[in-house]
Amino acid sequence: MGIITISREFGSGGEIVARFVAEKTGFLLVNKDTIVRGLAEHGIQVPKPNKEDLGAKEQEGQGEGKYIEAMHDFIYDLAIRNNLVILGRGGTILFHDYPPALHVRIIAHFTERVRRVMKTYDLASETAVRLVKEQDREKIRYFRQIFNSNWNNLRLYDMVLNTEKMDFEDTADLIIAAYRIHAEPREVKDAPPPGEIEERISIPQAEAEAEMFMHPSEEEFAHMLDFYRIRWQYEPRTFFLEWDSEGNVVEAFSPDFYLPDQDLFIELTTQKPRQAWKKNRKIRRMKELYPDISVRLIDKRGFESLLKKHSIDQDEGEDGDN
Amino acid sequence: MSEKNLYGHDQLNIIYDQAQIETKITEMGKKISADYAGLDLILVGVLRGSIFFLVDLTRKMHIPFAIDFISISNYSEQTDATGVVRITKDLDLSITGKHVLVVEDIVDTGLSLGYLLRNLRSRNPASLKVCTLVNVEARRIVEVPVDYKGFDTPNVFVVGYGLDYNEKYRNLQFIAQFDRP
Repeated sequence: MGIITISREFGSGGEIVARFVAEKTGFLLVNKDTIVRGLAEHGIQVPKPNKEDLGAKEQEGQGEGKYIEAMHDFIYDLAIRNNLVILGRGGTILFHDYPPALHVRIIAHFTERVRRVMKTYDLASETAVRLVKEQDREKIRYFRQIFNSNWNNLRLYDMVLNTEKMDFEDTADLIIAAYRIHAEPREVKDAPPPGEIEERISIPQAEAEAEMFMHPSEEEFAHMLDFYRIRWQYEPRTFFLEWDSEGNVVEAFSPDFYLPDQDLFIELTTQKPRQAWKKNRKIRRMKELYPDISVRLIDKRGFESLLKKHSIDQDEGEDGDN
Repeated sequence: MSEKNLYGHDQLNIIYDQAQIETKITEMGKKISADYAGLDLILVGVLRGSIFFLVDLTRKMHIPFAIDFISISNYSEQTDATGVVRITKDLDLSITGKHVLVVEDIVDTGLSLGYLLRNLRSRNPASLKVCTLVNVEARRIVEVPVDYKGFDTPNVFVVGYGLDYNEKYRNLQFIAQFDRP
């Protein structure tokens, strides 16, 4: 059985990409509809939340659990007889232990996704923003509830593709090329035995926390805040910065951290100074539009001095803050 | 001003010389003496960097006071990634009802000082203020009140006058920018 799993952010075009991949490879596309129809044939219906009886919460959860179990059995059954392109549904987790499978994540920037959703569904910007956020939250909830895993952990995927600058069909071709290389691996010579590699790789202790960050410097920063017992939230809020003539949001900004006790937003950047002006501009714009919100940019130089000063494994001293 | 081959290094660039530092500390000593005249004052030196500044500052003061020291663990020295900051050497004196002035060599991120102030505040001093020789606002992460400051310094790595690199350079009589190897 051949398996390609495609996870996508809402509005990234992942559905279209998946359809292209299925058409070009002749693999069977498995999406929500396939599953709902397939299970219905076996007499299993999607559990409906019983809104009249609020006391039946627990039963509702059980119904959902059984349905998901049936869904997973159904996908495994399909996979025995078919080659599959699995869109969403936690495919990357379901086939995590099946090495020939290729796990792909399709992403695009938040504002770009909002723009596409507005166009596709003919929505006002506020509605589109709400919808994209809701869908993102729902995916996070689904992953946490069903798999006890973090949907935003990009290490669950073999490749991550951004569709902002790439045609959907090209994206599909790239996935197919990668799958072919992946499914027919060339012989690797002189590779150290797996045990040796594992010994050399140190595994972060706070793995659970590590999964939620997009960048190692963010993780390090969070560890440092934890150390000094400072409460923080990760990317809790998005600020709109630019609108086009029709009132659509074309630029938005989600600072990395919020420190509730300081009522302060913090944006980290490890970019080169030449690129930092872009973020500086965003922050200036944000200060104009939201004068009551405190936001601080910690630039590369500033952050490097912090890391050097606070890093665990370096033999350097520190400049005497303590 | 460049000081070549000092301590076998040519990476030191003096930014505040001995005379500038003495003038500044004299001013600070006068101001603190005037502000705390007639009050029960405890100077709390934060180990280890502040001791040089603390000694010279107190020599420029002309009011009675007590001195005590405190030390807290820092992120760079922790061995357990899940650890949290703690006090490694506590005050010997009680500060309840006393006027407390925390003496730092440098305030930069505000993270350790922020923790220290929260801790000291819980002991109900009559007042709690901060005095630092060097203040690096550009590195601030959390806001901390700095009531007396010597020099506002840009975001560069500095050594001397209590400030160290690998525990070295604390005894320099000037403050210099240091390019870490």
